[in-house]
Amino acid sequence: MYRDKNNNKIKMLVIEDDPVITEFLCTGLKYEGYDVTSKTTGEEGLCALQQATFDLIILDIMLPDIDGFKVCQRIRNRGSDIPILILTVRKEIIDRVKGLDSGADDYLTKPFSFDELLARIRALLRRTGKVSKNKKLQAETIVLNLETREVSRNGKGIDLTPTEFGLLELFMRYPYHVFTRETLLNRVLGYDYDGGTNIIDVHISHLRNKLGDRPPRLIRTIYAVGYAFYPEETSA
Amino acid sequence: MRVWEKLPLRVRLGLLYAVLLIISVGLVGCYSYWNIWQLFISNKSSHLRAQAKPIIEHWLVDNNLDNEAFSQLKLNPQNALVLARDLTSHNTVAVVLNRTGDIIANGKQLPEEPKAPVPDKRYFRRAISGENEVTYRSQVKGKPVLVLLIPLRPQPTSSQIFGVVQMSTLLTDIKEILFRHGAMLVSLVAVILFMGISVGFWLIGVSLKDLKGLLISCDQISKGNFSQWVPIKNPCDEIGQLAVSFNQMVEKLEAAFSSQKRFVINAAHELMTPLTGLRGSLEVLLRGAQDDPSARARLLKGMYKEVNRLIRLCEQLLGLSRLENMTNVRKQSIVLSEFFSEFESQAQVLACEHSVVIQQGPYVRILADPDLLKQILLDLLSNALRYSSTEASVVIGWKLLPEEVEIWVSDKGQGMDTETLSHIFEPFYQGNLRVVSDNKGIGLGLSLAKSMIEAHGGVIRVDSNPDEGTTVSFTIPLE
Repeated sequence: MYRDKNNNKIKMLVIEDDPVITEFLCTGLKYEGYDVTSKTTGEEGLCALQQATFDLIILDIMLPDIDGFKVCQRIRNRGSDIPILILTVRKEIIDRVKGLDSGADDYLTKPFSFDELLARIRALLRRTGKVSKNKKLQAETIVLNLETREVSRNGKGIDLTPTEFGLLELFMRYPYHVFTRETLLNRVLGYDYDGGTNIIDVHISHLRNKLGDRPPRLIRTIYAVGYAFYPEETSA
Repeated sequence: MRVWEKLPLRVRLGLLYAVLLIISVGLVGCYSYWNIWQLFISNKSSHLRAQAKPIIEHWLVDNNLDNEAFSQLKLNPQNALVLARDLTSHNTVAVVLNRTGDIIANGKQLPEEPKAPVPDKRYFRRAISGENEVTYRSQVKGKPVLVLLIPLRPQPTSSQIFGVVQMSTLLTDIKEILFRHGAMLVSLVAVILFMGISVGFWLIGVSLKDLKGLLISCDQISKGNFSQWVPIKNPCDEIGQLAVSFNQMVEKLEAAFSSQKRFVINAAHELMTPLTGLRGSLEVLLRGAQDDPSARARLLKGMYKEVNRLIRLCEQLLGLSRLENMTNVRKQSIVLSEFFSEFESQAQVLACEHSVVIQQGPYVRILADPDLLKQILLDLLSNALRYSSTEASVVIGWKLLPEEVEIWVSDKGQGMDTETLSHIFEPFYQGNLRVVSDNKGIGLGLSLAKSMIEAHGGVIRVDSNPDEGTTVSFTIPLE
C-alpha cells in the first residue's frame, strides 16, 4: 500500500475526457491503493484542485474545453508544484517538449502500459518526496529489501527465486488482501503466461517452506478463492 | 528505324536540321551554278551573232550577189572562204556550208585557231529550213564548244537560203570561270553549313537544356524528393510553360501526399484512443480487478464500447476510401418527397427524445444514390442532435434552385465560431464542442458527407453562429 509520510492514502486527480480510459484508470489505481478523483474537463479539474489537495495529477492533453498544456500552465501559474503526468497520443518530440515546457513532470504516450503508468507514478511520487524513500518492507519478523532483493526473517537470510520474491513482495505490500490464483499468476509471471494456475500453488508451497511458515500461517489459503497475507496473529 | 529511335532527341533534331540545311543550300548552289552557265552561254551566243551580222551583210554587198546568182542558189567557194575567214578569230572559227550541208569553206588557217566541229545534220536541217538562231553545244577533241548556225539569205527578210554559216567558239574560258565560281560556291556552302549546323546544334542544345533540367527534376520527384522545383527561365516559351505546369503538378502532388500523410497520422491517433482504453482495461482486469465483479462488469462494458468504436471508425475509413475511388455510387432517379417520407421514421429512431421535423418542399426529381443520400442525412442529423439540447427540434427541408435542389439540416444548438468552421471538413477534426449526448463522434462524418456530396456533383455549405445554431445545406443536381 502506497501511503504518504502521514500514512494517508495518496490522492490523485485524473483529468481525462474519454470515459473508458477514465474507468480503467480509476479502477486500476484504486485497486493499487490510491485515492482517485476523476474529472472530464479542464475547468472541472482546475476547480477540483482548488477545493481539495492532491498528491499527483494525471492529465490528458486532448480535453474538450481547454487543452492539457494550458491546464498545466494554469496550475503552475498558481504556484503549485504538484507532480503532473500528462497523457498524449502524439509521439512527436515537439509535443513532449511542449508538454514538459508547460510544467508537466512526465509524459506517457497512448496507448501506454498500465504497469509503466504505475512505475512512473511511483517514480514521480518518490522524486517529489511525497512518499518516503524507504526501500525496505517489513512485516512481522520478515524484512524485504527492494533494492538488494534480500529477504530475512529474524535476522536470518533467506534465498528466494524471483517468482517467490515477487509473491512475497505483493503479499507484504497488500496485507490482508485476498489474491486469486489468476491474479497472482498475472502479477508475478506476466500477463502472457499460458500455464495453469497450479504453478502458483507450487510457488506458494516453496515460499512457505523457505519462510518456515507453519500454522497459523502468515500466507493463508483462502478456500476456493486464493491466498492472503496475515502479518499479525489474528484468528482467521 | 530502331537506331534512329534510340538516338537522343538532341542528336535527332540536329541531324534532321543538318540534312535539311544541306539539301536547301545544295539546291540553291546548283541552281545558281546552272543559271550562271546559261547566262554565259546566251551572252556569248548573242555576242557572236552581233559580231557576225555586219560582217555577213558587208560580205553580201561586197559580192554583189544579184538575184541571178541567188536564183541558182550556188555558192562560190572562194567567196565563201572570204566570209569564213572574216568570221574567224583566235578562239572562234567559221565554216560555210552549202545547201546540202557540205563544208565549202573553212575559216581555220592558222594553227592556233581552233578546229571546227563536224556539222550536225539535225541542227543543220533546222537552220536550212529557215530557223535563224540555232545554237547548240558540242565537243571538239574533248573540249566544249558552242556552235551557232546562221542561215545566209540574199536579203534579211528573204525566205530563200543559199547556205549556212557555222560558227563555233571554245567554251574553255567559261568553263574555267564557272569552275572558279563553283569552287567559291562550294566553299561558301561549306562555311554556311558549318556555321548553320554549329549554330543549330547550339540552339537545340540551349533549348533542350531546360528540358534536361525538367528530366532531372522528374527523376528526383519520382524518388520522392518534392523540394525539387524546375527553374523557370522563360515562362513564355513552350518549355517554360511546361516547367510552370510541371511545378504546379509537383505542388499539387506534394499537397496530396502531405494530406494523405496527415490523414494516416490522424487515423492512427484516432485508433490509439480506443486501443488505450482496451489495453488499459485489460491490464487492470488482469492485475486483479477481475476479482471484483462490479469493477469487472464496468471495465468489460467499456471495452465493448471501445471495440464498437474501433469498428465504426474502420467502417467510416473504408467508406471514405471507397468514395475516393468513386466506385459504389449508383445514381438513380429519386422523388425527394417520397424519399423523405421513408427517411422520416429512421430519423425519429435516431433522434430518441429529440424531435426532428421534415418540411416537405416542392415536387423534385433528383439523380442520386439513395443509400448515400440517406447516409449523408443521417450523418448531418446525428451531428445536429449531438450538439443541441433536446428542447429545440432539428429541421430538415429542401428548396428548388435553377439546376439543382438544396437540402438543409438546421439545428438550434450551440453553433460554432469561425475558427471551428474553417476546420470542420478536415478528417478527424472535432473542435472544442460540448457533447450533449454521451455518444461522441469520430470526426469523420462531415468529411465523409462532403465526399459523398461531391461524388454526386454537389457542394456542401455550413452556416453557423455560436449559441444560435447551425445550418448545413448541400446541393444535388436535378435529374
